[in-house]
Formats: sequence, C-alpha cells, structure tokens
Amino acid sequence: MTGFELSTGSWILVTALGALLGLDAISWPQAMISRPIVAATVGGALFGAPGGGFLAGAWLELVVGRHPPFGAARYPETGPASLIAGAAFALSDTRSLLPLVAAVLAGWTIGWVGMHAIATLRAFNARLIGDPGATRGDGSEIARRHRLGIRLDALRAGILTGALFVPAVLAVRWLETWGTDPGPRAVSAALAVFGLAALGGVAARVLAGKGRAWPALVAGGLVGLLLAWWSP
Amino acid sequence: MMPRTSDFTATLLRTFAVQGSWNYRTMIGGGIAYALLPLLQRIHAGDPVALREAIERHSSAFNAHPYLSPLAIGAFARVEHDGRDPETIERFRAALRGPLGALGDQAVWAGWRPFCTLSAVVAFCMGLDARVAALAFVLVYNAAHVGLRVWGLRMGWTHGLDVGPILKGSPLKAIGAGLVPINAALIGAVVVLLSLRTPGFGPSPVLGGAIAVVSLGAFFLPARAGTLAILTLFASVGVWLLS
Repeated sequence: MTGFELSTGSWILVTALGALLGLDAISWPQAMISRPIVAATVGGALFGAPGGGFLAGAWLELVVGRHPPFGAARYPETGPASLIAGAAFALSDTRSLLPLVAAVLAGWTIGWVGMHAIATLRAFNARLIGDPGATRGDGSEIARRHRLGIRLDALRAGILTGALFVPAVLAVRWLETWGTDPGPRAVSAALAVFGLAALGGVAARVLAGKGRAWPALVAGGLVGLLLAWWSP
Repeated sequence: MMPRTSDFTATLLRTFAVQGSWNYRTMIGGGIAYALLPLLQRIHAGDPVALREAIERHSSAFNAHPYLSPLAIGAFARVEHDGRDPETIERFRAALRGPLGALGDQAVWAGWRPFCTLSAVVAFCMGLDARVAALAFVLVYNAAHVGLRVWGLRMGWTHGLDVGPILKGSPLKAIGAGLVPINAALIGAVVVLLSLRTPGFGPSPVLGGAIAVVSLGAFFLPARAGTLAILTLFASVGVWLLS
C-alpha cells in the first residue's frame, strides 16, 4: 500500500512550515527550530506521531553531526529535510526500522539538495549585495536588497519542501511494502544500527578533535547502556 | 548624534537576520550594514555623505559567528560615533573577523548546540515526551543565544576599539573547551540509547556493547569513515529490499 490521503491544506501547511524552517537555519532568526529534533518532531506531529518524528530527527542529528557549520563550510540543510523525514516516518504504515532508515536517508538526500540550492542563492546574493549600487543613498537600498535575499531564501525552502514532500513520503511507503524474510531483515537492522553508531563516532571526533575525547565517548556509551537497562 | 535605546533595539532585532544575504563575496558584510543602519542613521544624522561612506565601509567583506556579530556591530557603531578615521576602522574590522568566527564556532556550534541537542535526545530516550523534549531544547538553547546577542551588542558599544580584551577575557572559550568531553560522552550515550530504542531492538547488553565498540572504532578512523557509515545505512535498505 503506497497511497495516502493528503489535503491541499495539509500540503500548503507543510510547504509553509518548510519555508519557515529553511529560513531559520541561516537567514532568520537562527533559533535552531530547523534542527532535526525540532523540525522532524513538527513533521511527525502534523501527522499524529511526534514521537516518531523525534526519533527520525534524533537519527538525523547523528547523520548530519559530522558537518558542523564552521566558517563558510557546506553542510546539509536540516530544516525542510527533517520536516519531510519526520512526516514521512509518521505517515509510514508500520513505523518500523526500514521506514525509519528510509525516512532518515530521504532527509539526508534532501538536505544536500537544499545545500546546493543555498549555494546557488549565495552566488546570486553576491551580485545582489556586491553591486556598487547597493550602498547608494541613505541605506534603504542595501536594506531592500538584504530583505530580498531573505525572501528568496524562504521561497527556495518552500519550493524544496513543496516539491519533495510527496515523493519522499511515497518512496518511504513503497519501500515499506518490501521485505518479509526474517534473516535479511535482521542483517538489515544490524547494518542500520552499526551505521548509526559509526556516524556517532565520526561526529564525536569532528566536534571534539581526534584523540582527546575517546575516554569520554566510552564512558558515555557505558552510561547509555546502564540507562537503557535501567529505564523502562 | 548619540543613538537612542530604540536604535539599539532595532539593531539588535536586525542582527537575527545578519546572514540574510550571505554570499561568497562579502559573506555577512551586507547583513552587518543592514543591522548597523538604525545606529548609523542616528550617528550620522544630517550628514548624508558620512552616512553613505559608513554604509560602504560596513557592507564590505566581513565574517563572524552570527551570534557574536552584535559585538562587532556595537563596536563598529562606537568607532563611527567616536569619529575614528576610516583606516583605523578598516584595520579594526580586519582584526575582529578571525576571533569572532573561531570563538563562536567553538563555543556555540561545537559546544552549546550539540550539548543542548544531545541532552534533549537523552531525555527523550529516557521517556520524556517528544514535544516537551523539542520545546525544552528550543527554550534552553535560545536563552543563551539571545543572551549572547544582547551581551555582545552592549559590550561592543561600551568598549568600541577596546573590545578585544573583553572578548579574550570572556568565558566563551572555556565554555567551548569544557563542553568537548561532555558532548563526546553524550554522543556515546545517545548512540547506545537511540539504537536500543529503535523499533525492533531491546536493551540487550551484547548489542549495546557492540554498538559502543563500533562507535569508538569509527572515532579513530579517517574522515571518510562517515561516508562509509552513510553507505552502510543505504546497504541496510538494500538488504531489506532483497529479502
């Protein structure tokens, strides 16, 4: 079963939220509502599963964790991508491991598409702001051009969300219909969690620097084990 | 002319959009000029030539961590108000660029943000409602975010050219360094908790231990291990489809 019902109103709402979340990461106001744990929770909540959305967002945090936005670095855009990933997982039939991994990978892919769109916008902004005419007069011209850059960023994120939301949901739901053999499913599950674990290790090294933080990483893993065993 | 409180408020609000026209030529130069505008228009009121020259100066290439850009903006407004010569202002702009970027990256992007994010994920894995965990993240994270912007604008305006020692003496570097091992520990905990909370898994010590070992192994591998890990996730989907 790959079909699902989506009203025009819901699609517009998702698109508008995608525009807002896309704006947050860079242009305005950088309150980090575009982080995966927030945006994916919003996406999940829109379709009745905030917890599922958060789970997808938490996975995405580890997936994108190795790309911190230092300086002028390029990194996957998280706002629209996480919104779509959270919604796609919430809209899956079983909310099991495969749709989770598929939704996370869809989010990761959309994140890189978003980054390329941002790079294109930045090249346009260079002409918009770098033009000598931008600084003429009492400052109203540079303010106008700056606000235009912000509006274009919202438009970019809205188009990205509106265009990729339905295909991503359909892809996750289609993949979900596959796979019934328990053997390969166990291998698939092991690959997923070990892949996630490896991404966590890489993210720790990127954030902490090689060699300095491994004892803390090990200690954290042991505490995680105790907490998992102890908590319900 | 001395800026009013309303000018500082307008500038502070505009700093939230300082990266709105980010580009590869001037980076946040346009955003700095945009945010400075309410203060510059007051400082150079009645002198359109001085205003235009100031806008040109401050829209040129500049980069800083966005949360620390108010510090630069406050200091730029101060040196404009004090009537410093353009060469001094240019040198000052160049001197501020590096430290504001590096310090913000370390304290916020590598420190505070992962700390808040990972703490929220741990809380969620321990049973906290997803909406509460996400909301708590936004509130706690932004308490420091907004506070940093307000502090920066105030310090920049108060100290002007002498803002360097203020920046050097701030606890930002220590906070960033202090959060490094904490964030590494949180990642270790999150990887194990998240894996064991994933649909189809339970709190198995063997699996949890194996996950921790893989995570530690990836920590010591070259940077391209991240790409390999992403491919592993794709392989997971591929194996499922073959079943």
